[in-house]
Amino acid sequence: MTENAVIEPLPEVTGRKWSRACTTDEVPEDEGLLLTTLPKTSVFAADGEFYCVDDTCTHETYSLAEGWLEGCIVECTLHNAKFDLRTGEALSPPAERAIAVHPVIVKNNVVYVALPQNYLVKSEQA
Amino acid sequence: MVDLNELVDSDRGRVDPRIYTDPGVYERELEFVFGRSWLFLAHDSQLPKTGSFIQTYMAEDPVLVVRQRDGSVKAFLNQCRHRGMRICRADAGVSKTFTCTYHGWAYDLEGNLINVPLEDRAYKGNLDREAWGALKVPRIANYRGFYFGTWSDETPDFEDYLGDMAFYFDAVADRFDSGLEFTAGTTKWVIDCNWKFAAEQFGGDMYHTSISHASGPIALTDQQVVRGDPNLVQGRQFGGDGHGSGGYIYPERNMPPNFFRGQQEHEFTEDHLDEIEARIGDTRMKKVNNHNTIFPNFSWLGFLWTMRVWHPRGPNQIEVWTWSFVPKDATEALKREIREKAQRTFSPAGVFETDDGENWTEVQQVLHGFKARQNTFHVGMGLGHEERNAGGLPGVTNDVFSEVASRGFYRRWHDLLVGKSWKQIQKEEAARVSAIPESQPELAEGAR
Repeated sequence: MTENAVIEPLPEVTGRKWSRACTTDEVPEDEGLLLTTLPKTSVFAADGEFYCVDDTCTHETYSLAEGWLEGCIVECTLHNAKFDLRTGEALSPPAERAIAVHPVIVKNNVVYVALPQNYLVKSEQA
Repeated sequence: MVDLNELVDSDRGRVDPRIYTDPGVYERELEFVFGRSWLFLAHDSQLPKTGSFIQTYMAEDPVLVVRQRDGSVKAFLNQCRHRGMRICRADAGVSKTFTCTYHGWAYDLEGNLINVPLEDRAYKGNLDREAWGALKVPRIANYRGFYFGTWSDETPDFEDYLGDMAFYFDAVADRFDSGLEFTAGTTKWVIDCNWKFAAEQFGGDMYHTSISHASGPIALTDQQVVRGDPNLVQGRQFGGDGHGSGGYIYPERNMPPNFFRGQQEHEFTEDHLDEIEARIGDTRMKKVNNHNTIFPNFSWLGFLWTMRVWHPRGPNQIEVWTWSFVPKDATEALKREIREKAQRTFSPAGVFETDDGENWTEVQQVLHGFKARQNTFHVGMGLGHEERNAGGLPGVTNDVFSEVASRGFYRRWHDLLVGKSWKQIQKEEAARVSAIPESQPELAEGAR
């Protein structure tokens, strides 16, 4: 993903920085797209909307982008913890803690995400 | 104690019945016979997409057979390395990971251990996850969409292992441009008999059919093709490398609709005659169509469209796992006709299947007797009348009413059981085959 590759200015979000994440057709239908960030984040397409969340399950270390997607709920394939992509809320044990949710804007089929300033974003064109 | 060396005498056609009952022999055949053979795992059509899996068995060992992200197929023992629970408890499905339901150790599609719950707190950095993945089946062969696996490094490559049986297997596996598919699901049942009765019969026994299966056709049909005098039919049986294939010889490339050949199947065959002939030739269309076993326990009946594995469950029991196979481009009506034919003939309640099961369970029952187990069985039919490359049929064949395949089956079984090396087994097989006289290119009248 690329930092600051935004043509039009996007609304400022305090403490966050917009980055170009991907094009809309890069996001798979039944799972997430892992972004090259630290901590890991991923983008999901669900019920016609795009969502960006912290990728790692809060129960065990595993990628939610690899998870099962049903509506706006992603289920970790390892131990069946479920999270709401809209709020980050943990819906099902063994997870109790929520995942972080990040603002998303889609313009001209490009997905932009606003990540906290302290997230590292790897540029595609280094 | 059983003397392993004395159990089988294939040169004379004799077997010791304790090969069907002895627990020590059984334990040894798991490791030395099944453990050193190629075993059927799955057909392409059972694993349609990434993450598609089935659980099957390699003899008694449960394995997961999984379609990988790169399209290949891999398999691993369905046993968690922590306390040995099944990693996956479903028979079939689609998954991205497999998590043991006991303590939650999780594995990827290849069987690598990817997550251990509470790893830092509980194992304190002392668990080498790379070393504790599931046990992988080291060798998988894809033969025309049929996947076979072996645990052994020593076993020859699959096509070498198949030998001349490839010609007979291709009569079904390579018959259609569109390829084959299995009908959905696996039909399973249990028979209280030793696995070798079933595997050997499907490889090398046409002899029983007009006797064991007499009553069904009498009740169901008066057609000559089913009830005819076996003295009047021609046919050949192939036996080589432990495998077997036998069948009658038909005058025409397509059978008229009858008890065995439904209307849909007749029409489909008629429409595909040139295609089938281009792929497998006239000889196989007419001469190769019936009972078959790829050593040790994968069998099929060509014109009845049924395939099965005889999974051993101790010396006295088997689980039969069966599928109907159909041309991929068959109409729904033909697929239904084939399924119904298999159900009517060779299924848990099939007219002929139950005849076979009755024989095998009775034989096993009789073997409870100590005198019965001290006896000797005769597997000498047609001994010494083998021919090589007879009538366009490659390898060693004999009359359809012979036991050339059965003798080969027991010989291969015994060679593996006593621990002969594969190199030695293949050397001896080659010497035996080359000593058999080559026959005329066409079968003489009455060569049956």
